[in-house]
Amino acid sequence: MTSRLGSVMRGLGVTVLVALAGFPIYWLFTTATHTTGELFGGHVHLLPDLGRFATSMRDAASGVPMLRWLTNSAVVAFGTTLLSLAMAILAAYALSRYRFRGKGVFGFALFATQMLPEALLVVPLYSIFLTFGLLDNLGGLVLSDTAFAMPVAVWILKSAMDGVPPEIEESARVDGCPRYAILPQIVLPLIAPSIAAAAVITFFDGWNEYLFANTFITDERKWPASKGLASFVGEFVTPLNHVMAAALIFTLPAIVFFLFVQRRIVSGLTAGSVKG
Amino acid sequence: MPRISFNGIAKSYGDTQVIKTFSADVPDNEFLVLLGPSGCGKSTMLRMIAGLTDITEGQLEFDGAAVNGTGPNERDIAFVFQSYALYPHLSVRANIAFPLLMSRFKPYHHLPLVNALMRRRMLRDPEIDAQVRRVADMMELTDYLDRRPRTLSGGQRQRVAVGRALVREPSVYLLDEPLSNLDAMLRTQMRAEISALHQRVRKSFVYVTHDQVEAMTMGTRIIVLNEGVVQQYGTPKEIYDRPANTFVARFIGSPPMNLMDCELDGRSVRFPDGTVLELPEGGAAPDGPARGITLGVRAEKVSVEAADTAKAGALPARVVVSEYLGAETVVAFQLGTRMDESGTVGGRDLLHARIPGEVRLAAGDACAVRLDLTDASFFGSDGGGRLPVAAAKGVA
Repeated sequence: MTSRLGSVMRGLGVTVLVALAGFPIYWLFTTATHTTGELFGGHVHLLPDLGRFATSMRDAASGVPMLRWLTNSAVVAFGTTLLSLAMAILAAYALSRYRFRGKGVFGFALFATQMLPEALLVVPLYSIFLTFGLLDNLGGLVLSDTAFAMPVAVWILKSAMDGVPPEIEESARVDGCPRYAILPQIVLPLIAPSIAAAAVITFFDGWNEYLFANTFITDERKWPASKGLASFVGEFVTPLNHVMAAALIFTLPAIVFFLFVQRRIVSGLTAGSVKG
Repeated sequence: MPRISFNGIAKSYGDTQVIKTFSADVPDNEFLVLLGPSGCGKSTMLRMIAGLTDITEGQLEFDGAAVNGTGPNERDIAFVFQSYALYPHLSVRANIAFPLLMSRFKPYHHLPLVNALMRRRMLRDPEIDAQVRRVADMMELTDYLDRRPRTLSGGQRQRVAVGRALVREPSVYLLDEPLSNLDAMLRTQMRAEISALHQRVRKSFVYVTHDQVEAMTMGTRIIVLNEGVVQQYGTPKEIYDRPANTFVARFIGSPPMNLMDCELDGRSVRFPDGTVLELPEGGAAPDGPARGITLGVRAEKVSVEAADTAKAGALPARVVVSEYLGAETVVAFQLGTRMDESGTVGGRDLLHARIPGEVRLAAGDACAVRLDLTDASFFGSDGGGRLPVAAAKGVA
């Protein structure tokens, strides 16, 4: 009886949490399917008008290069993810496995990057980007986003690598696996869930980033979607339904990416490798 | 196959020397056991043989050729780790085949994704498949080839680890306490299997353990280590019968060798309480000092009888605990007639007798102890080293 009550309470708790987490998406969807008149007409519309969904999306995307913006966002997000992971994997392995002078300072420096607000670095970065011709360049945006996303990825991956027993690597060495191959052959498959988690974080860093995109990219055709979305907000009028519809379009690829990657975020992969 | 020679080998971490300089020559095809308590440096020594830990001083030779500078993969060795160290993302088949795949991989095969593709392709190779199946049959793992290590029991994982070592047919097998994670019954079974394996493959084995029973039953030669110092190197019989010092005497054997302070007056052994025993005719007597020495007698050379039936030449004692083990009884006792309040089981003054069958003595009973001093050992009080023995006298 007690366990039944417990499971009911647990179910209720989970339902409340899911509702809280899902409500913004639902509200996005509901707002996107009503006209501006309906939204500002005094009534609160709790249910979406499903019949208007396709029209809303079409209206939101008309007159703006939405597809191009999304492509730009994808370039920046995937670029940030790949570059961050490539560098973070090597840095995390060094931090996890080797003893070297300045290791502690290096680790702290990675943390310190997270203490600096992005806004503080906009001006110096602008100056650097100007010098290297990286303004209005998505590659530049990838670099600046990587600078902020990579340290987080390093720490996630370092803790995961700390959990891989060194004996497995030594065993691979005895079995004839060259040292350079131990990372891709043995370590990376074992920390796949953490790599997936780091990929999600770095991807969303790149996908959602607005401040650098707003400052460094002035060419409308090179805007990522985050900047494009903000352009809907006018000086006198803001078409709230269009903003929400565009936001929904902006959210969908990110959700797809997350669903694709989250399959890999499972724990316990190393179970059974060592000791009974 | 190779003869393993330790020439003045030592290991230090900074200023701390964890293995003191030692030399030994291990003939080929031997089952060498590195035995010692936890933290004595035996695993470090094994890792030095494997090439996983650098050697600070001296030269390690396989068949006369120095291997100090060579990596683990160049030494033709296989290593079974205490924790098994299986690759959890690979099937049992891929785990066993891993050394074979590595020997065939070209440098670009190690690239991410490419390695998975090549591994899958090579696992289908008839030659590799045959080798894996041969080992799996030997280790009784054929039914588990497609399973992941996490789905196997401790014993099965241990077999996979041994199978992975076997498949490459290396010259030297290195095993680091491979049975320590198994339950007592499985440990006994695997002990026999590893010994049988050594007989079958006829290669050199180096086996690390802190369990003297494993060392005595499996090893053909034993190196006893304590605090980084090699205490003795010899066959199990040499080490059991003629321990080099009091540490080895107490470490080898269950129960350990009985050690008693005494003085020697010619062929008379005088105990602190005044009791005098005569060394038997034909028995060896030490060559060294007569005072402050330690007499060592194995438990099976001690007999215990009830105090009232005791005859001359028996030492008075009191039973502390009597453990009936079925085929034999181990009686722990203290010399003297008074029960020492501080005498605890395992204490230095606690002595043992191993007697066949059942002994009708209970804790606290007065008893008489008779020592067979024919093969007794004598140790100097200074450092506890074994005293050299003079030629036996009075042999007919």
